[in-house]
Amino acid sequence: MNFVVSSTDLLNHLQAIAKVISSKNTLPILDNFLFELKSNVLTITASDLETTLVTSMEVENAEGEGVIAVDARRLLKLKDTSEQPLTFNINTETLSVDILSESGKFSKVEQKGDDFPQPHEVDETKKTEIALPAEALLTAINKTIFATADDDLRPVMNGILFTFSADYMTAVASDAHKMVRYRRTDITSEQESSFILPQKPAQLLKNLLPNDESEVKIVFDHQNAIIEFANFVQVCRLVEGKYPNYDAVIPKDNPYRMTVDRLDIYNKLKMVSGYANPASNLVKMSIAPNELKVSAQDLDFSMSAFERLKCEYEGEEMEIGFKGVFLLEIIANISSTDVFVELSDPSRAALFLPVEKDDDNEDLLMLIMPMMVNQ
Amino acid sequence: MRKIIHVDMDSFFASVEQRDFPQYRRKPLVVGGNSPRAVVAAASYEARKYGIHSAMPMARALQKCPHLIITPHRSAVYKEVSEHIQAIFHEYTDLVEPLSLDEAYLDVTEPKKGLPSASLIAKEIKNEIRKRENLIASAGVSYNKFLAKIASDMDKPDGFYLIKPDDAEAFLKDLKIGLFFGVGKKTEAKMHQLGIFKGEDLKRLTLPELMRYFGKNGRYFYDVVRGIDERPVLPSRVRKSIGAERTYQTDIYDLGHVEIKLAEVVDVMWERSLAKKKQGRTVTLKLRYANFVTITRSHSQNRPFTKAEILSTLMALLPHDAIRQNGVRLLGATMTNFYDEDQTLPRQLKIDF
Repeated sequence: MNFVVSSTDLLNHLQAIAKVISSKNTLPILDNFLFELKSNVLTITASDLETTLVTSMEVENAEGEGVIAVDARRLLKLKDTSEQPLTFNINTETLSVDILSESGKFSKVEQKGDDFPQPHEVDETKKTEIALPAEALLTAINKTIFATADDDLRPVMNGILFTFSADYMTAVASDAHKMVRYRRTDITSEQESSFILPQKPAQLLKNLLPNDESEVKIVFDHQNAIIEFANFVQVCRLVEGKYPNYDAVIPKDNPYRMTVDRLDIYNKLKMVSGYANPASNLVKMSIAPNELKVSAQDLDFSMSAFERLKCEYEGEEMEIGFKGVFLLEIIANISSTDVFVELSDPSRAALFLPVEKDDDNEDLLMLIMPMMVNQ
Repeated sequence: MRKIIHVDMDSFFASVEQRDFPQYRRKPLVVGGNSPRAVVAAASYEARKYGIHSAMPMARALQKCPHLIITPHRSAVYKEVSEHIQAIFHEYTDLVEPLSLDEAYLDVTEPKKGLPSASLIAKEIKNEIRKRENLIASAGVSYNKFLAKIASDMDKPDGFYLIKPDDAEAFLKDLKIGLFFGVGKKTEAKMHQLGIFKGEDLKRLTLPELMRYFGKNGRYFYDVVRGIDERPVLPSRVRKSIGAERTYQTDIYDLGHVEIKLAEVVDVMWERSLAKKKQGRTVTLKLRYANFVTITRSHSQNRPFTKAEILSTLMALLPHDAIRQNGVRLLGATMTNFYDEDQTLPRQLKIDF
């Protein structure tokens, strides 16, 4: 089979799906892209066994049909060349692949396309189908992915839980220190369903999903999901198991509420947390009516810092400690001008909530557990 | 209400010597080194009659009693005997806090053996020590550590003393201030200056006054004179300092020589700190001049000292002129204010999924 393709166009497609290729593949064939030519459409696949990404593009002067696995590392070197038409001459019998550039030729005997593992399939009898705008899925991933865990003992925590109901779609992620719950009331499903999307495919989607209203179709059973959008298909294994009951751990009646300027607290925390003990990263918030003090210290290196900022707060004066990096992540992932911080006491969960919503259909809740200083 | 016993072996090292060597019995005996610079580690009751007490220079002791028997320190033996006695304690309770080889607190609020009272347990322990180890102990019984410790001192040797809760305040009222545990010679002098001679005098001071005069110990004095001491009996006593010291055969006037000797002392202390896996954030230099004047100087920092830092810090603390003038008899180095990672690191709480 032969075809001609723009080097830039090809590279864009290759780079989009190349991130799925693992640096330590167990199967050598997975270091390749799978090329499949059918009439004038070239379909390119990359996989790490757990997740498979597929994209397709139109090519010129297509002749013949077939599949072949092409060395990914060498092909991605196209990024160092200038845009030019490339002619691929592929012999699927001898597995020889010649790439003719404007001024040269690259030849390699590649591997049989049939050896490339097939993507997982979804059980037709048990499948659920959901359609939603790409923007909604992208935002849900963007808001939650930072809170996913990396815990070999509780694999369910290593993914984002998506649940669909007649009222809303919910995305939840937590590493047991912090938790995010993102809801969209404009996305509903008559049939209640859920899946846990692992971190890696979620990250890949985050990079590929367009931030627009175009449709994403998700078909899934309890093991696998096929996610189709634009000219991509992602097939991935889901995390099997039961996600913990996240609603039960969200405090319903934290009595104290503070309102602060989000950017103000973010910037000040960023500076102050640099003076925290590197091991604990403890940052203290001392909250008094109308004044918040954020402070950190490291006795071992003789450093300390504090910043005062205005807040609206009516309630008991309180001092509560948090891990600085967690606080920063939480605040960075809220987009409103002001945030509510709902508290009860220094040993219980605090909630961070946007004061104004970007979108009336949105409901965002961030929970963070404090740090306790031993007496 | 807790039931605390303080058991104190009477003249422990000396008694062990008299037990193991019958020829020493009923004779004035001290345990300690034989050189003229050595100090008394323990004195038998017979020796005490001559005014000899522990920590006294051996030369002074010999002046007071020329026919004094001096026996060498047999650490391994004392340690073994101490372990036997500890085993006896543990038959009654696991809440045993050893203060040293010859002293321990026992919390017998809930004893392992079905004896009804702390007094009976204390007497039985004394009997068992006498029967099995052929040694004499004194015991004090009360409802907290402070009072139990004072009680054990009231009736030595072979003593037994009980301070009942109702009697505590009256007892403390008339107690000489120097007998309060935690009041050493210096504090006693300071108390006297403030007109405090007995418990009742101490009780007249307010908490802020006491805190002003004695810092954080003020709170302790305020509580104990009211019979309040909530400190628990801690089975494994946490070591609070690690140190080493040496007394020299001849006084050292040469600064370079003092520095070499100090480095040796630091070596010993450092080895001990490694063995105990403790790192101090305060180091103290102890220096006794030929004229017996003793000074201590310390330096603290916010993180544990390395060995090199200890050396350079202690060297810098050496008073050059005074050493050249007075000569050094004893050098010591101590590490305190331990860095405990578990205690200083805050704990990240988890969501209770």
